[in-house]
Amino acid sequence: MNRTVLKAITKKDIKDIFRSKTLLLTIILIPVIFSLIIPAGVVSTILYFDFELDTGTQKMLDKFLLKVGNEEILAFSLKEQLVYLFVNYMMVSLFLLIPVITASTIAANSLVGEKERKTLESLLFAPITVKELFISKILSSFIPAFSVSLISFILSGIIINGLSYSTFKELIFPSMNWIVLVLLLLPMVLILTILLNVLISSRVKTYQEATNLGGIIVLPVLGILIGQVSGLFFLGLGLMVILSTIILIINLVLLRQIAKYNDRHLLFEKQI
Amino acid sequence: MITVREVSKSFSNQRVLNKTSLTCQKGEILGLLGPNGAGKTTLIRVLNGVILPDSGEISINGYDPVIDGHEIRKVTGIVTESAGLYHQMNAVENLAFFADIYGVKNKSRIYDLLRQFGLDDHKSKPIGTYSTGMKKRLALAKALLHEPSILYLDEPTNGLDPDGISMVLSYLKEYNYQNGTTVLICSHVLHQLENVCSSFAFLDNGHIIDSGSLLQLQEKYSTHIKLNIHTNMKIENGNVSGFPCEQLENNHIRVTVNHKDEISPLLKNILLEHWIHSVAIEEQDLESIYFMIRSRNNE
Repeated sequence: MNRTVLKAITKKDIKDIFRSKTLLLTIILIPVIFSLIIPAGVVSTILYFDFELDTGTQKMLDKFLLKVGNEEILAFSLKEQLVYLFVNYMMVSLFLLIPVITASTIAANSLVGEKERKTLESLLFAPITVKELFISKILSSFIPAFSVSLISFILSGIIINGLSYSTFKELIFPSMNWIVLVLLLLPMVLILTILLNVLISSRVKTYQEATNLGGIIVLPVLGILIGQVSGLFFLGLGLMVILSTIILIINLVLLRQIAKYNDRHLLFEKQI
Repeated sequence: MITVREVSKSFSNQRVLNKTSLTCQKGEILGLLGPNGAGKTTLIRVLNGVILPDSGEISINGYDPVIDGHEIRKVTGIVTESAGLYHQMNAVENLAFFADIYGVKNKSRIYDLLRQFGLDDHKSKPIGTYSTGMKKRLALAKALLHEPSILYLDEPTNGLDPDGISMVLSYLKEYNYQNGTTVLICSHVLHQLENVCSSFAFLDNGHIIDSGSLLQLQEKYSTHIKLNIHTNMKIENGNVSGFPCEQLENNHIRVTVNHKDEISPLLKNILLEHWIHSVAIEEQDLESIYFMIRSRNNE
Protein backbone atom coordinates (compact mmCIF):
# COMPACT_ATOMS: atom_id res chain seq x y z
CA MET A 1 0.00 0.00 0.00
CA ASN A 2 1.56 3.28 -1.17
CA ARG A 3 0.91 5.90 1.54
CA THR A 4 1.96 8.81 -0.71
CA VAL A 5 -0.75 7.81 -3.19
CA LEU A 6 -3.39 7.48 -0.44
CA LYS A 7 -2.41 10.85 0.99
CA ALA A 8 -2.35 12.58 -2.41
CA ILE A 9 -5.83 11.39 -3.45
CA THR A 10 -7.37 11.97 0.00
CA LYS A 11 -5.87 15.46 0.25
CA LYS A 12 -7.06 16.36 -3.25
CA ASP A 13 -10.60 15.10 -2.56
CA ILE A 14 -10.91 16.91 0.78
CA LYS A 15 -9.67 20.15 -0.85
CA ASP A 16 -12.30 19.61 -3.54
CA ILE A 17 -15.06 19.63 -0.91
CA PHE A 18 -14.04 23.17 0.00
CA ARG A 19 -13.97 24.11 -3.69
CA SER A 20 -17.49 22.76 -4.37
CA LYS A 21 -20.22 25.07 -3.08
CA THR A 22 -22.87 22.30 -3.12
CA LEU A 23 -20.76 19.85 -1.12
CA LEU A 24 -19.60 22.51 1.31
CA LEU A 25 -23.15 23.80 1.83
CA THR A 26 -24.39 20.26 2.54
CA ILE A 27 -21.70 19.46 5.10
CA ILE A 28 -22.30 22.78 6.88
CA LEU A 29 -26.08 22.99 6.63
CA ILE A 30 -26.94 19.42 7.68
CA PRO A 31 -24.98 19.56 10.98
CA VAL A 32 -26.31 23.05 11.74
CA ILE A 33 -29.91 21.83 11.28
CA PHE A 34 -29.57 18.52 13.13
CA SER A 35 -27.14 19.46 15.88
CA LEU A 36 -28.03 23.09 16.52
CA ILE A 37 -31.40 24.30 15.23
CA ILE A 38 -33.55 21.22 16.00
CA PRO A 39 -32.13 20.45 19.50
CA ALA A 40 -32.12 24.13 20.47
CA GLY A 41 -35.69 24.53 19.19
CA VAL A 42 -37.08 21.39 20.84
CA VAL A 43 -35.26 21.75 24.20
CA SER A 44 -36.08 25.46 24.56
CA THR A 45 -39.73 24.87 23.56
CA ILE A 46 -40.05 22.17 26.22
CA LEU A 47 -38.29 24.16 28.93
CA TYR A 48 -39.46 27.70 28.29
CA PHE A 49 -43.06 27.33 27.07
CA ASP A 50 -45.93 26.25 29.30
CA PHE A 51 -48.08 23.33 28.21
CA GLU A 52 -49.97 20.41 29.74
CA LEU A 53 -50.49 16.86 28.57
CA ASP A 54 -53.89 15.15 28.75
CA THR A 55 -54.13 11.99 30.90
CA GLY A 56 -53.88 9.60 27.94
CA THR A 57 -50.71 11.21 26.58
CA GLN A 58 -49.18 11.36 30.08
CA LYS A 59 -49.84 7.62 30.54
CA MET A 60 -48.22 6.88 27.21
CA LEU A 61 -45.20 9.00 28.17
CA ASP A 62 -44.87 7.14 31.49
CA LYS A 63 -44.94 3.86 29.57
CA PHE A 64 -42.15 5.09 27.27
CA LEU A 65 -40.08 6.23 30.21
CA LEU A 66 -40.48 2.92 32.06
CA LYS A 67 -39.46 1.10 28.92
CA VAL A 68 -36.29 3.12 28.47
CA GLY A 69 -35.14 3.98 31.97
CA ASN A 70 -35.68 3.38 35.61
CA GLU A 71 -38.48 4.46 37.92
CA GLU A 72 -36.49 7.47 39.14
CA ILE A 73 -37.28 9.18 35.87
CA LEU A 74 -40.97 9.04 36.72
CA ALA A 75 -40.26 11.35 39.65
CA PHE A 76 -38.94 14.03 37.19
CA SER A 77 -41.15 16.94 36.25
CA LEU A 78 -42.94 16.69 32.90
CA LYS A 79 -40.49 19.11 31.25
CA GLU A 80 -37.50 17.15 32.58
CA GLN A 81 -39.00 13.87 31.39
CA LEU A 82 -39.55 15.24 27.89
CA VAL A 83 -36.05 16.72 27.68
CA TYR A 84 -34.57 13.43 28.94
CA LEU A 85 -36.49 11.44 26.34
CA PHE A 86 -35.62 13.82 23.50
CA VAL A 87 -31.91 14.21 24.30
CA ASN A 88 -31.18 10.54 24.97
CA TYR A 89 -33.39 8.82 22.41
CA MET A 90 -35.04 10.96 19.73
CA MET A 91 -31.95 13.05 19.17
CA VAL A 92 -29.64 10.05 18.98
CA SER A 93 -31.36 8.76 15.85
CA LEU A 94 -31.77 12.28 14.50
CA PHE A 95 -28.03 12.79 15.03
CA LEU A 96 -27.26 9.69 12.94
CA LEU A 97 -28.62 11.56 9.93
CA ILE A 98 -25.58 13.90 10.08
CA PRO A 99 -22.93 11.29 9.15
CA VAL A 100 -25.33 9.48 6.82
CA ILE A 101 -26.27 12.54 4.76
CA THR A 102 -22.81 14.16 4.72
CA ALA A 103 -21.00 10.89 3.93
CA SER A 104 -23.57 9.99 1.23
CA THR A 105 -23.09 13.35 -0.46
CA ILE A 106 -19.30 13.10 -0.43
CA ALA A 107 -18.95 9.37 -1.18
CA ALA A 108 -21.52 9.41 -4.00
CA ASN A 109 -19.29 11.93 -5.77
CA SER A 110 -16.09 9.94 -5.10
CA LEU A 111 -15.64 7.88 -8.25
CA VAL A 112 -18.46 9.15 -10.41
CA GLY A 113 -17.08 12.69 -9.95
CA GLU A 114 -13.80 11.48 -11.45
CA LYS A 115 -15.72 9.83 -14.29
CA GLU A 116 -17.73 12.96 -15.06
CA ARG A 117 -14.55 15.08 -15.13
CA LYS A 118 -12.80 12.42 -17.24
CA THR A 119 -10.01 12.12 -14.68
CA LEU A 120 -10.72 8.53 -13.63
CA GLU A 121 -8.89 7.30 -16.74
CA SER A 122 -5.83 9.34 -15.67
CA LEU A 123 -5.88 7.51 -12.33
CA LEU A 124 -6.44 4.10 -13.93
CA PHE A 125 -3.59 4.70 -16.39
CA ALA A 126 -1.30 5.48 -13.44
CA PRO A 127 0.70 2.96 -11.39
CA ILE A 128 -1.76 2.85 -8.50
CA THR A 129 -3.67 -0.24 -7.46
CA VAL A 130 -7.48 -0.31 -7.48
CA LYS A 131 -7.27 -1.12 -3.75
CA GLU A 132 -5.32 2.11 -3.15
CA LEU A 133 -7.89 4.01 -5.19
CA PHE A 134 -10.83 2.62 -3.19
CA ILE A 135 -9.17 3.09 0.20
CA SER A 136 -8.32 6.70 -0.71
CA LYS A 137 -11.90 7.32 -1.72
CA ILE A 138 -13.20 5.75 1.52
CA LEU A 139 -10.80 7.89 3.58
CA SER A 140 -11.74 11.02 1.60
CA SER A 141 -15.34 10.53 2.72
CA PHE A 142 -14.69 9.19 6.22
CA ILE A 143 -12.35 11.97 7.43
CA PRO A 144 -14.65 14.95 6.66
CA ALA A 145 -17.89 13.16 7.61
CA PHE A 146 -16.49 11.91 10.94
CA SER A 147 -14.95 15.32 11.70
CA VAL A 148 -18.28 17.02 10.98
CA SER A 149 -20.04 14.48 13.24
CA LEU A 150 -17.59 15.11 16.09
CA ILE A 151 -17.95 18.90 15.76
CA SER A 152 -21.75 18.46 15.71
CA PHE A 153 -21.53 16.30 18.84
CA ILE A 154 -19.60 19.02 20.69
CA LEU A 155 -21.95 21.76 19.47
CA SER A 156 -25.01 19.71 20.50
CA GLY A 157 -23.47 19.23 23.93
CA ILE A 158 -22.91 22.95 24.38
CA ILE A 159 -26.46 23.79 23.23
CA ILE A 160 -28.21 21.10 25.30
CA ASN A 161 -26.22 21.67 28.49
CA GLY A 162 -26.44 25.43 28.05
CA LEU A 163 -30.24 25.37 27.71
CA SER A 164 -30.97 22.73 30.35
CA TYR A 165 -28.44 23.49 33.11
CA SER A 166 -30.76 25.89 34.93
CA THR A 167 -33.45 23.17 35.05
CA PHE A 168 -31.35 20.06 35.82
CA LYS A 169 -28.55 21.77 37.79
CA GLU A 170 -26.12 19.30 36.20
CA LEU A 171 -24.72 18.46 32.78
CA ILE A 172 -27.12 16.01 31.14
CA PHE A 173 -25.03 15.58 27.97
CA PRO A 174 -23.31 13.31 27.01
CA SER A 175 -25.03 10.31 28.56
CA MET A 176 -23.65 6.77 28.10
CA ASN A 177 -26.04 6.41 25.12
CA TRP A 178 -24.27 9.27 23.35
CA ILE A 179 -20.77 7.98 24.10
CA VAL A 180 -21.61 4.55 22.66
CA LEU A 181 -23.27 6.23 19.70
CA VAL A 182 -20.28 8.40 18.84
CA LEU A 183 -17.61 5.78 19.46
CA LEU A 184 -19.36 2.67 18.15
CA LEU A 185 -22.61 2.96 16.20
CA LEU A 186 -21.81 6.20 14.36
CA PRO A 187 -18.47 5.01 12.89
CA MET A 188 -20.11 1.73 11.81
CA VAL A 189 -23.07 3.51 10.16
CA LEU A 190 -20.63 5.97 8.60
CA ILE A 191 -18.48 3.21 7.10
CA LEU A 192 -21.57 1.37 5.81
CA THR A 193 -22.86 4.55 4.17
CA ILE A 194 -19.47 5.23 2.56
CA LEU A 195 -18.93 1.67 1.33
CA LEU A 196 -22.37 1.51 -0.27
CA ASN A 197 -22.00 4.92 -1.88
CA VAL A 198 -18.48 4.27 -3.16
CA LEU A 199 -19.70 0.96 -4.60
CA ILE A 200 -22.64 2.69 -6.30
CA SER A 201 -20.34 5.50 -7.45
CA SER A 202 -18.03 2.98 -9.12
CA ARG A 203 -20.87 1.47 -11.14
CA VAL A 204 -22.98 4.41 -12.34
CA LYS A 205 -22.07 7.09 -14.86
CA THR A 206 -23.54 10.27 -13.36
CA TYR A 207 -23.55 11.91 -9.93
CA GLN A 208 -27.33 12.17 -10.13
CA GLU A 209 -27.68 8.39 -10.52
CA ALA A 210 -25.30 7.91 -7.58
CA THR A 211 -27.23 10.26 -5.27
CA ASN A 212 -30.59 8.76 -6.27
CA LEU A 213 -29.43 5.26 -5.41
CA GLY A 214 -27.35 6.35 -2.39
CA GLY A 215 -30.33 8.19 -0.91
CA ILE A 216 -31.90 4.82 -0.08
CA ILE A 217 -29.36 4.44 2.76
CA VAL A 218 -31.11 7.21 4.71
CA LEU A 219 -34.27 5.06 4.95
CA PRO A 220 -33.10 2.65 7.72
CA VAL A 221 -32.01 5.64 9.84
CA LEU A 222 -35.41 7.24 9.32
CA GLY A 223 -36.90 3.87 10.34
CA ILE A 224 -34.99 4.04 13.65
CA LEU A 225 -36.23 7.60 14.17
CA ILE A 226 -39.86 6.61 13.52
CA GLY A 227 -39.37 3.63 15.87
CA GLN A 228 -38.29 6.02 18.62
CA VAL A 229 -41.11 8.50 18.09
CA SER A 230 -43.78 5.81 17.90
CA GLY A 231 -42.39 3.97 20.91
CA LEU A 232 -42.02 0.78 18.88
CA PHE A 233 -38.45 0.34 20.15
CA PHE A 234 -35.80 2.49 21.80
CA LEU A 235 -32.22 2.81 20.73
CA GLY A 236 -30.70 2.00 24.08
CA LEU A 237 -27.21 0.74 24.90
CA GLY A 238 -27.96 -2.93 24.23
CA LEU A 239 -29.63 -2.30 20.89
CA MET A 240 -26.81 0.03 19.83
CA VAL A 241 -24.17 -2.63 20.54
CA ILE A 242 -26.22 -5.28 18.68
CA LEU A 243 -26.79 -2.94 15.72
CA SER A 244 -23.10 -1.98 15.62
CA THR A 245 -22.07 -5.66 15.54
CA ILE A 246 -24.51 -6.43 12.71
CA ILE A 247 -23.34 -3.39 10.71
CA LEU A 248 -19.69 -4.36 11.33
CA ILE A 249 -20.37 -7.77 9.76
CA ILE A 250 -22.17 -6.15 6.81
CA ASN A 251 -19.22 -3.75 6.38
CA LEU A 252 -16.72 -6.61 6.30
CA VAL A 253 -18.79 -8.48 3.71
CA LEU A 254 -19.12 -5.30 1.63
CA LEU A 255 -15.36 -4.65 1.79
CA ARG A 256 -14.75 -8.17 0.49
CA GLN A 257 -17.25 -7.70 -2.30
CA ILE A 258 -15.71 -4.37 -3.31
CA ALA A 259 -12.26 -5.96 -3.45
CA LYS A 260 -13.57 -8.95 -5.38
CA TYR A 261 -15.74 -7.29 -8.01
CA ASN A 262 -13.88 -4.10 -8.79
CA ASP A 263 -10.88 -4.70 -10.98
CA ARG A 264 -9.25 -2.06 -13.14
CA HIS A 265 -10.74 -3.37 -16.40
CA LEU A 266 -14.29 -3.34 -15.07
CA LEU A 267 -13.87 0.17 -13.64
CA PHE A 268 -12.37 1.41 -16.88
CA GLU A 269 -15.03 -0.10 -19.12
CA LYS A 270 -17.80 1.28 -16.83
CA GLN A 271 -16.59 4.83 -17.46
CA ILE A 272 -16.29 4.67 -21.26
CA MET B 1 10.05 -2.80 -27.54
CA ILE B 2 6.34 -3.26 -28.15
CA THR B 3 5.06 -6.39 -29.86
CA VAL B 4 1.38 -6.95 -30.56
CA ARG B 5 0.33 -10.27 -32.06
CA GLU B 6 -3.19 -10.88 -33.39
CA VAL B 7 -4.96 -8.92 -30.65
CA SER B 8 -8.75 -8.74 -30.82
CA LYS B 9 -11.21 -6.85 -28.66
CA SER B 10 -14.98 -6.44 -28.88
CA PHE B 11 -17.39 -4.25 -26.92
CA SER B 12 -20.88 -5.79 -26.81
CA ASN B 13 -21.21 -7.07 -30.38
CA GLN B 14 -18.88 -4.54 -31.96
CA ARG B 15 -15.39 -5.72 -32.85
CA VAL B 16 -12.99 -2.81 -32.28
CA LEU B 17 -9.66 -4.62 -32.72
CA ASN B 18 -9.50 -7.43 -35.23
CA LYS B 19 -6.34 -9.56 -35.08
CA THR B 20 -4.18 -6.43 -34.80
CA SER B 21 -0.44 -7.01 -35.07
CA LEU B 22 2.36 -4.46 -34.89
CA THR B 23 5.90 -4.00 -33.71
CA CYS B 24 7.49 -0.85 -32.34
CA GLN B 25 11.25 -0.96 -31.77
CA LYS B 26 12.85 0.54 -28.65
CA GLY B 27 13.50 4.25 -29.16
CA GLU B 28 11.29 4.44 -32.23
CA ILE B 29 8.53 7.03 -32.84
CA LEU B 30 5.69 5.07 -34.39
CA GLY B 31 2.72 6.88 -35.93
CA LEU B 32 -0.47 4.90 -35.52
CA LEU B 33 -2.70 6.27 -38.25
CA GLY B 34 -6.29 5.64 -39.13
CA PRO B 35 -9.71 7.24 -39.43
CA ASN B 36 -11.91 7.97 -36.41
CA GLY B 37 -13.19 4.73 -34.92
CA ALA B 38 -10.37 2.64 -36.42
CA GLY B 39 -9.41 1.33 -32.95
CA LYS B 40 -6.37 3.51 -32.17
CA THR B 41 -7.52 4.58 -28.69
CA THR B 42 -8.63 1.07 -27.78
CA LEU B 43 -5.23 -0.30 -28.83
CA ILE B 44 -3.46 2.21 -26.53
CA ARG B 45 -5.77 1.27 -23.66
CA VAL B 46 -5.08 -2.42 -24.23
CA LEU B 47 -1.31 -1.75 -24.34
CA ASN B 48 -1.57 0.04 -20.98
CA GLY B 49 -3.43 -2.88 -19.43
CA VAL B 50 -6.60 -0.97 -18.54
CA ILE B 51 -8.68 -2.96 -21.02
CA LEU B 52 -8.33 -6.70 -21.42
CA PRO B 53 -7.98 -8.06 -24.96
CA ASP B 54 -10.27 -10.94 -25.93
CA SER B 55 -7.39 -12.77 -27.60
CA GLY B 56 -3.84 -12.29 -28.83
CA GLU B 57 -0.46 -11.65 -27.26
CA ILE B 58 1.23 -8.42 -26.20
CA SER B 59 4.74 -7.84 -24.94
CA ILE B 60 5.95 -4.44 -23.72
CA ASN B 61 9.61 -4.44 -22.67
CA GLY B 62 9.04 -8.12 -21.92
CA TYR B 63 5.91 -7.50 -19.80
CA ASP B 64 2.39 -8.68 -20.60
CA PRO B 65 -0.13 -5.89 -19.84
CA VAL B 66 -2.77 -8.46 -18.83
CA ILE B 67 -0.58 -9.79 -16.01
CA ASP B 68 2.03 -7.09 -15.40
CA GLY B 69 -0.04 -3.95 -16.06
CA HIS B 70 1.29 -2.27 -12.93
CA GLU B 71 4.92 -2.65 -14.07
CA ILE B 72 4.03 -1.27 -17.50
CA ARG B 73 2.14 1.71 -16.06
CA LYS B 74 5.23 2.64 -14.00
CA VAL B 75 7.31 3.19 -17.14
CA THR B 76 4.67 4.60 -19.47
CA GLY B 77 3.33 8.11 -19.87
CA ILE B 78 0.07 8.78 -21.60
CA VAL B 79 -1.76 11.71 -23.13
CA THR B 80 -5.41 10.97 -23.74
CA GLU B 81 -7.80 12.87 -25.96
CA SER B 82 -9.56 14.43 -22.96
CA ALA B 83 -6.24 15.47 -21.26
CA GLY B 84 -7.47 13.99 -17.92
CA LEU B 85 -6.60 17.00 -15.79
CA TYR B 86 -8.38 18.44 -12.74
CA HIS B 87 -10.07 21.63 -13.93
CA GLN B 88 -10.58 23.05 -10.46
CA MET B 89 -6.85 22.82 -9.70
CA ASN B 90 -4.08 24.97 -11.19
CA ALA B 91 -1.16 23.67 -13.25
CA VAL B 92 1.24 23.31 -10.32
CA GLU B 93 -1.39 21.51 -8.19
CA ASN B 94 -2.19 19.14 -11.06
CA LEU B 95 1.46 18.28 -11.69
CA ALA B 96 2.22 18.01 -7.96
CA PHE B 97 -0.71 15.58 -7.57
CA PHE B 98 0.41 13.39 -10.46
CA ALA B 99 4.04 13.61 -9.26
CA ASP B 100 2.88 11.96 -6.00
CA ILE B 101 0.86 9.38 -7.92
CA TYR B 102 3.85 8.49 -10.14
CA GLY B 103 6.32 8.61 -7.23
CA VAL B 104 8.32 11.58 -8.58
CA LYS B 105 10.54 12.82 -5.76
CA ASN B 106 12.23 15.69 -7.61
CA LYS B 107 9.57 18.40 -7.49
CA SER B 108 11.69 20.88 -9.48
CA ARG B 109 10.76 18.81 -12.54
CA ILE B 110 7.25 20.29 -12.28
CA TYR B 111 8.58 23.81 -12.83
CA ASP B 112 11.06 22.69 -15.53
CA LEU B 113 8.25 21.13 -17.54
CA LEU B 114 5.96 24.14 -17.09
CA ARG B 115 8.75 26.33 -18.44
CA GLN B 116 9.52 23.99 -21.34
CA PHE B 117 5.88 23.92 -22.44
CA GLY B 118 5.42 27.70 -22.15
CA LEU B 119 3.02 27.48 -19.20
CA ASP B 120 5.14 29.23 -16.60
CA ASP B 121 3.07 32.42 -16.73
CA HIS B 122 -0.17 30.48 -16.30
CA LYS B 123 0.91 28.06 -13.57
CA SER B 124 -1.41 29.53 -10.92
CA LYS B 125 -4.56 29.67 -13.05
CA PRO B 126 -7.22 26.93 -12.72
CA ILE B 127 -7.11 24.51 -15.66
CA GLY B 128 -10.78 25.27 -16.33
CA THR B 129 -9.67 28.67 -17.67
CA TYR B 130 -7.04 27.15 -19.99
CA SER B 131 -7.46 26.94 -23.78
CA THR B 132 -7.55 23.46 -25.37
CA GLY B 133 -3.99 23.91 -26.53
CA MET B 134 -2.73 24.83 -23.06
CA LYS B 135 -4.51 21.79 -21.59
CA LYS B 136 -2.83 19.56 -24.20
CA ARG B 137 0.59 20.96 -23.36
CA LEU B 138 -0.01 20.48 -19.65
CA ALA B 139 -1.24 16.91 -20.32
CA LEU B 140 2.03 16.24 -22.12
CA ALA B 141 3.99 17.70 -19.19
CA LYS B 142 2.00 15.38 -16.89
CA ALA B 143 2.85 12.38 -19.08
CA LEU B 144 6.57 13.24 -18.96
CA LEU B 145 6.78 13.88 -15.19
CA HIS B 146 8.24 10.48 -14.32
CA GLU B 147 10.52 10.37 -17.39
CA PRO B 148 8.77 7.36 -18.92
CA SER B 149 10.55 5.00 -21.28
CA ILE B 150 7.36 4.58 -23.34
CA LEU B 151 4.98 7.37 -24.32
CA TYR B 152 1.47 6.82 -25.66
CA LEU B 153 0.04 9.94 -27.24
CA ASP B 154 -3.56 9.90 -28.39
CA GLU B 155 -4.16 12.85 -30.73
CA PRO B 156 -1.58 15.01 -28.89
CA THR B 157 -1.94 17.97 -31.26
CA ASN B 158 -5.75 18.20 -31.29
CA GLY B 159 -6.78 21.75 -30.46
CA LEU B 160 -3.27 23.19 -30.72
CA ASP B 161 -2.53 26.23 -32.87
CA PRO B 162 0.33 25.99 -35.42
CA ASP B 163 2.84 27.35 -32.88
CA GLY B 164 1.65 24.82 -30.29
CA ILE B 165 1.85 21.94 -32.80
CA SER B 166 5.37 22.92 -33.76
CA MET B 167 6.42 23.28 -30.10
CA VAL B 168 4.97 19.93 -29.04
CA LEU B 169 6.25 17.94 -32.02
CA SER B 170 9.77 19.37 -31.92
CA TYR B 171 9.91 18.77 -28.15
CA LEU B 172 8.85 15.17 -28.68
CA LYS B 173 11.46 14.60 -31.35
CA GLU B 174 14.16 16.13 -29.17
CA TYR B 175 13.00 14.19 -26.10
CA ASN B 176 13.04 10.95 -28.08
CA TYR B 177 16.51 11.74 -29.43
CA GLN B 178 17.95 12.55 -25.99
CA ASN B 179 16.28 9.82 -23.94
CA GLY B 180 15.65 7.04 -26.45
CA THR B 181 11.99 6.99 -25.40
CA THR B 182 9.71 4.78 -27.44
CA VAL B 183 6.79 6.91 -28.65
CA LEU B 184 3.50 5.74 -30.09
CA ILE B 185 1.47 8.61 -31.55
CA CYS B 186 -2.12 8.21 -32.70
CA SER B 187 -3.36 10.80 -35.10
CA HIS B 188 -5.43 11.43 -38.15
CA VAL B 189 -3.65 14.69 -39.02
CA LEU B 190 -1.05 13.03 -41.18
CA HIS B 191 1.14 15.85 -42.44
CA GLN B 192 2.07 16.74 -38.84
CA LEU B 193 3.64 13.35 -38.27
CA GLU B 194 5.57 13.01 -41.51
CA ASN B 195 8.77 14.52 -40.13
CA VAL B 196 8.38 13.22 -36.58
CA CYS B 197 7.78 9.49 -36.90
CA SER B 198 10.39 6.99 -37.97
CA SER B 199 7.72 4.51 -39.02
CA PHE B 200 3.98 4.28 -39.47
CA ALA B 201 1.26 1.69 -38.95
CA PHE B 202 -2.10 2.11 -40.66
CA LEU B 203 -5.12 0.92 -38.71
CA ASP B 204 -8.47 0.42 -40.40
CA ASN B 205 -11.47 -1.34 -38.89
CA GLY B 206 -9.33 -2.62 -36.03
CA HIS B 207 -6.74 -4.20 -38.32
CA ILE B 208 -3.23 -3.04 -39.27
CA ILE B 209 -3.40 -2.87 -43.06
CA ASP B 210 0.24 -1.92 -43.59
CA SER B 211 3.27 -0.53 -41.80
CA GLY B 212 6.81 0.65 -42.44
CA SER B 213 8.95 3.75 -42.85
CA LEU B 214 7.82 6.47 -45.26
CA LEU B 215 10.52 5.45 -47.74
CA GLN B 216 9.48 1.79 -47.61
CA LEU B 217 5.85 2.74 -48.09
CA GLN B 218 6.65 5.11 -50.96
CA GLU B 219 8.54 2.39 -52.77
CA LYS B 220 5.76 -0.08 -52.20
CA TYR B 221 2.83 2.08 -53.23
CA SER B 222 4.18 4.54 -55.81
CA THR B 223 4.21 2.97 -59.26
CA HIS B 224 5.38 6.25 -60.79
CA ILE B 225 6.69 9.61 -59.63
CA LYS B 226 5.08 12.92 -60.60
CA LEU B 227 7.46 15.89 -60.76
CA ASN B 228 6.19 19.43 -60.63
CA ILE B 229 8.90 21.55 -62.27
CA HIS B 230 9.02 25.33 -62.38
CA THR B 231 10.70 26.01 -65.73
CA ASN B 232 10.41 28.14 -68.88
CA MET B 233 10.26 25.01 -71.03
CA LYS B 234 7.08 24.79 -73.14
CA ILE B 235 5.51 21.38 -73.78
CA GLU B 236 4.50 20.73 -77.37
CA ASN B 237 4.02 17.02 -78.02
CA GLY B 238 3.08 15.78 -74.51
CA ASN B 239 6.49 14.42 -73.55
CA VAL B 240 9.94 15.46 -72.36
CA SER B 241 12.91 13.18 -72.96
CA GLY B 242 10.42 10.37 -73.57
CA PHE B 243 8.48 10.86 -70.34
CA PRO B 244 4.78 11.84 -70.35
CA CYS B 245 4.37 15.51 -69.55
CA GLU B 246 1.67 18.20 -69.23
CA GLN B 247 1.85 21.98 -69.30
CA LEU B 248 0.59 23.69 -66.13
CA GLU B 249 -0.02 27.36 -65.42
CA ASN B 250 2.68 29.94 -64.56
CA ASN B 251 5.69 28.21 -66.09
CA HIS B 252 5.08 24.87 -64.40
CA ILE B 253 5.13 21.45 -66.04
CA ARG B 254 4.28 18.01 -64.63
CA VAL B 255 6.47 15.09 -65.77
CA THR B 256 5.77 11.49 -64.82
CA VAL B 257 8.80 9.20 -64.39
CA ASN B 258 8.90 5.56 -63.35
CA HIS B 259 11.79 5.65 -60.91
CA LYS B 260 13.80 8.12 -58.82
CA ASP B 261 16.93 7.26 -60.82
CA GLU B 262 15.35 8.87 -63.88
CA ILE B 263 14.97 12.29 -62.22
CA SER B 264 18.56 13.59 -62.49
CA PRO B 265 19.08 12.76 -66.22
CA LEU B 266 15.70 14.34 -67.00
CA LEU B 267 16.55 17.59 -65.19
CA LYS B 268 19.98 17.63 -66.80
CA ASN B 269 18.33 17.45 -70.24
CA ILE B 270 15.93 20.29 -69.49
CA LEU B 271 18.73 22.47 -68.10
CA LEU B 272 20.66 22.26 -71.38
CA GLU B 273 18.34 24.84 -72.92
CA HIS B 274 16.04 26.10 -70.14
CA TRP B 275 16.10 27.32 -66.56
CA ILE B 276 14.65 25.41 -63.59
CA HIS B 277 13.70 27.28 -60.42
CA SER B 278 12.15 24.47 -58.41
CA VAL B 279 11.29 20.78 -58.48
CA ALA B 280 8.73 19.11 -56.21
CA ILE B 281 7.71 15.47 -56.03
CA GLU B 282 3.91 15.16 -55.96
CA GLU B 283 1.78 12.50 -54.24
CA GLN B 284 4.67 11.03 -52.25
CA ASP B 285 3.65 12.58 -48.94
CA LEU B 286 2.22 10.57 -46.06
CA GLU B 287 -1.34 11.65 -46.79
CA SER B 288 -1.18 10.43 -50.42
CA ILE B 289 0.37 7.14 -49.28
CA TYR B 290 -2.38 6.79 -46.64
CA PHE B 291 -5.13 7.11 -49.24
CA MET B 292 -3.32 4.71 -51.59
CA ILE B 293 -3.05 2.13 -48.81
CA ARG B 294 -6.69 2.50 -47.85
CA SER B 295 -7.98 2.37 -51.42
CA ARG B 296 -5.86 -0.70 -52.18
CA ASN B 297 -7.10 -2.33 -48.98
CA ASN B 298 -10.72 -1.63 -49.88
CA GLU B 299 -10.39 -3.08 -53.39
